Amino acid sequence: MKDDYLWDPSSAPDPEVERLERMLGRLRSKAPPLDFARGGPELVEGPAPDVTQIRSRYTSARFLVPTLAAAASIVALIGLTWQTTRGTRSWEVSRMTGQPRIGSAPLAGTGRLGVGQTLVTDAASRARLDVSTIGQATVDTDSRVRLVDTREGYHKLALERGTLHAFITAPPGQFVVDTPSATATDLGCVYTLHVDEDGTGVLSVTAGWVAFEFNGRESFVPAGASARTDPRVGPGTPRFDDAAKDLQAALDDLDYGTDAPAKARDLQLVLSSATPRDAMTLWHLIARVSPADRGAVIDALDARVPMPASITREAVMRLDKAALDQWWDALGLRDASWWRKWKGPYPAGKN
Amino acid sequence: MEHVLDPVAVHRVTDREVSLSDTISAVAAGDRDAFSRLYADFSRLVHAILLGRVPRRDVDDLVQDVFVTAYTRIRELREPAAFGGWIATIARNRATDYLRQSREPVELPDELPGGDPIEAETFAVLEVIRGLPEAYRDTLLMRLVEGMSGQEIADRTGLAPGSVRVNLHRGMKLLREKLGLET
Repeated sequence: MKDDYLWDPSSAPDPEVERLERMLGRLRSKAPPLDFARGGPELVEGPAPDVTQIRSRYTSARFLVPTLAAAASIVALIGLTWQTTRGTRSWEVSRMTGQPRIGSAPLAGTGRLGVGQTLVTDAASRARLDVSTIGQATVDTDSRVRLVDTREGYHKLALERGTLHAFITAPPGQFVVDTPSATATDLGCVYTLHVDEDGTGVLSVTAGWVAFEFNGRESFVPAGASARTDPRVGPGTPRFDDAAKDLQAALDDLDYGTDAPAKARDLQLVLSSATPRDAMTLWHLIARVSPADRGAVIDALDARVPMPASITREAVMRLDKAALDQWWDALGLRDASWWRKWKGPYPAGKN
Repeated sequence: MEHVLDPVAVHRVTDREVSLSDTISAVAAGDRDAFSRLYADFSRLVHAILLGRVPRRDVDDLVQDVFVTAYTRIRELREPAAFGGWIATIARNRATDYLRQSREPVELPDELPGGDPIEAETFAVLEVIRGLPEAYRDTLLMRLVEGMSGQEIADRTGLAPGSVRVNLHRGMKLLREKLGLET
């Protein structure tokens, strides 16, 4: 790290600090004009009065109700931090509707879900989990979710069936959800994970990213996209939710179909109908198709997002990790370096 | 510290203190324009302190509240050069009051990101910084969010430049560790 840059922004930049500046600079003060009127009519005219003349607007119920509600989550997180430091390996769980259970014990109001325990909701019940100090998860009806592990920097659930909505603010890799057919690793985001009785499932990401992995097959799913998963194969090819329906159907068949001629037609449909926005999907397909089909996928992706001049077609054909990473970066979705240190966006697949 | 011995730097600080003293005297006499200058100079400091403690959606309102409080209490300030530390204390106390008054539960953490993945990433990093010790948290937010230089942070807060430098570097080291950026 170039230490001087941290002290003096006019000196030679440190790329890492510069990146954090760009990101966090979005939160910068916009310094709206100072509104003296909020101090009351006494401040609208005349010299600075004594403080005792002022009654803050924050004492009004109009302000207190929403702000007290919003800040309560911080108080809850402080409490959870304290519990974590005491070594308590459990999360707080709150009943939202109906009668959820922890194991066989009905949950009245709030309780704690310990490591190894299972939270069960029926057709009428829902519950909320505080994920240590890093976020929250809502468990929908007809779900079973087990707390597998929780410790500093690593928290793991197993969603055996049902639906879970997660909101996680931790750095990448700290929150993991196992399903019968894939493991979802949070990369800082909001997402919904659904698992059917037969172990198939679907992951839909609202914000951020989720890595979806099973037996070495990985999908990186960005906001606005989804990926199916199946116990026989693992995570399917991610696609944006607004992609054409026939393209999505063809991808499903490519991922899970067994009829070779039909799959060949599906691949042609995907390659010919993909839009530039579908480049993320095509990128994932590079490692998923057979070597014989790989060249066509590379051409299709190149037509939507040109291959960077710094890499070669040969390198991509042999699934060179660095080359694939560079092309990924060219998609403009997110710099791969952010999570490369965690695991990397290399699209491991089965040929 | 070598920069303290630099006569140019000493002269600059002295000039600034004189200017700040004049400004604060003018504010105490009811000069709104003078207070607007204070607001322009110190709003980033206050914003950073609040952002490290309270939900983002309420930060701008609370910044205004802090400055209104400062305006009404400006006559209590005996040492004009201490204005930065003084208003920083008001900001910290305002954040503490805000959190103390909060009682009702909410469905989700306050800063629910929208559909922009970058925004989620930004909030994730902000949460990590919020978990850092206070001295590192405030200094890093002034530097990384508000874009203030180390010297500017020292000037505004009244902290010794050496202390700011230490806070920046130790804070950044801790942040890098927590984000897994340490190589």
